[in-house]
Amino acid sequence: MNTLILISVLPIVLLYLGLYKAKNALLPVTVIGLLVAAGLAVAEWNSNAQPIYHDMMLFDRFAIAFSVITIVSTILIVLLSKGFFEKISEHVAEYYAIMLFSLAGIIVMVSYYNLTMLFIGIEIMSVSLYILAGIRKRDVASNEAALKYFLMGAFSTGFLLFGIALLYGASGSFNLAAIRDYTLSHPRNIDPMFYTGVLMIIVGLCFKLGAAPFHFWTPDVYEGSPSIITAFMSTVVKTAGIAAFLRLFSACFASIADFWMPVLLVITVVTLFIGNITALYQHSFKRMLAYSSISHAGYLLFAIVALGSGSANSVFMYATAYSIASIIAFGVLILIQQQTGSDDFESFNGLGKSNPFLAVVLTIAMLSLAGIPLTAGFIGKFFMFSGAVSRYHIGLVVVAVINAIISIYYYFKVIIAMYFRNTADRVALAVPGYFGFVLGLSALATILIGIFPGIISDLI
Amino acid sequence: MSTFYFIAFLSIFFSLLVIFAKNPVHSVLYLILTFFTFTIHYILLNAQFLAVVNFIVYMGAIMVLFLFVMMLLNLNKETEPGKHYLAKLAGVIAGGCLLVTLVGSLKAYKLSAPVILHDPNLGLVKNLGKVLFSEFLLPFEISSVLLLSAMVGAVLLAKKEPRATA
Repeated sequence: MNTLILISVLPIVLLYLGLYKAKNALLPVTVIGLLVAAGLAVAEWNSNAQPIYHDMMLFDRFAIAFSVITIVSTILIVLLSKGFFEKISEHVAEYYAIMLFSLAGIIVMVSYYNLTMLFIGIEIMSVSLYILAGIRKRDVASNEAALKYFLMGAFSTGFLLFGIALLYGASGSFNLAAIRDYTLSHPRNIDPMFYTGVLMIIVGLCFKLGAAPFHFWTPDVYEGSPSIITAFMSTVVKTAGIAAFLRLFSACFASIADFWMPVLLVITVVTLFIGNITALYQHSFKRMLAYSSISHAGYLLFAIVALGSGSANSVFMYATAYSIASIIAFGVLILIQQQTGSDDFESFNGLGKSNPFLAVVLTIAMLSLAGIPLTAGFIGKFFMFSGAVSRYHIGLVVVAVINAIISIYYYFKVIIAMYFRNTADRVALAVPGYFGFVLGLSALATILIGIFPGIISDLI
Repeated sequence: MSTFYFIAFLSIFFSLLVIFAKNPVHSVLYLILTFFTFTIHYILLNAQFLAVVNFIVYMGAIMVLFLFVMMLLNLNKETEPGKHYLAKLAGVIAGGCLLVTLVGSLKAYKLSAPVILHDPNLGLVKNLGKVLFSEFLLPFEISSVLLLSAMVGAVLLAKKEPRATA
């Protein structure tokens, strides 16, 4: 709870700092504030949490772990934004503030214990993101991204809200425990309305997660938004979405898994294929990352298809690996974009010679995203797949392995471009200190988790 | 009871007019009337808060906004894109499916026992306030973050940048 209060107050402090033109204080205050918030969350680790405020929130270990990973990812992204927002506009403080508001919504999303809180959390996050997607006011692509995201997001929120209303109509409560009790006490004759509600909620949450067939907004929005915001959307927001998804389904709908599991199974398979096969045809690195994020949403859904006691752990593992690797990829992309003004694969040509450090960290990130052993991505995929195998979803795992092989092709395209395609006029990029720190730290974490997965694998 | 049937008739009548009106501005005006009949329904159900909210927010704010957008967009017959044959077919199929589902569910459902409210004054503002400020206090407070974020964002997007280059 302290974390949520701090993250809600921090943006207001930032707005005041912006008002008094204290521009240099913005970044340090944000980072320190977020670190304190993460510390406050960790401090409650052993507190044996009970639902608070009339069962509205529950800061259990699940909530704390996902709060911390989203906060840490946000810190890394905020560090990358040094000098980025200044180019767009003078109102830098507001951008940080809105980003942190969005994070406050995310904290609500991972710790809710009542469906009204889920809805409000999703709305806080989404409304802030609609604005962030459109902060390049004079860029048509950015305008398109914001508008498209807004329309699609509003539409999907409608589905979610309708689903929540139907669940309320059937069970008479918004409370997760009460809904679970309803499914347990009516094993035979659950109201058809309840099932419809579950389906509506799946649609709404899959929209937010960017899972196929509700993924159509993803590529355009990710490509049109400024790269920092895309990094935020594809890491922090995706983690929060899957955490909210998992919390709802493991807390409420575990006993009626026979009903929704086939639906999610189909969604997962379709998501994997659409994400990976479309990513093959992309020429732009950023668009490729957008499609790859769709396929990673598919892998994340594995944990819900094979819902069990280990699901939370494997989602945490996978989301961590995916977030860190994506942050590296977007960090390098931002530098490349600043130099060449383009995000095609060709603009990575010769990076291995001119900037060995960038090339190495990006290679680690790509290997991790592809799931090569000794990186965090491999461990994440391993946890997901073993969870699915333990529930006898052998076919699903076969499909996933085929997809992982497909994905290696397009991830290696970047590595090949960096090391084996040379261009004569490549000038070494200047890597600012902040970038070096974030990229190095993330690459180190990727390898560390890949070699010693025990440090975060048994947390929840 | 006769009031209900009269108002229900008016709701259906106006919503049909929304669809059949040629002029989009007339359509919106009929939609406002439709919402007005909904407000009367809420009052008949003793749900005063919903009635007031429906009147102010939907009829007042949202529909007037609709009307402005319609007028600004200057929709008329020339700018309207021609409807494709395939789109019409898809529309008919989708609408037909909906109709079949509705008829099927109506046939499957038996008439339920009339719902009797434990507290006939459930929809009063007083009761809503009590629930909102006790049980649902936290969501109510956190909504403020949502509103603040939206407000800051709206100002940010609407404010003119001093520089021409972006």
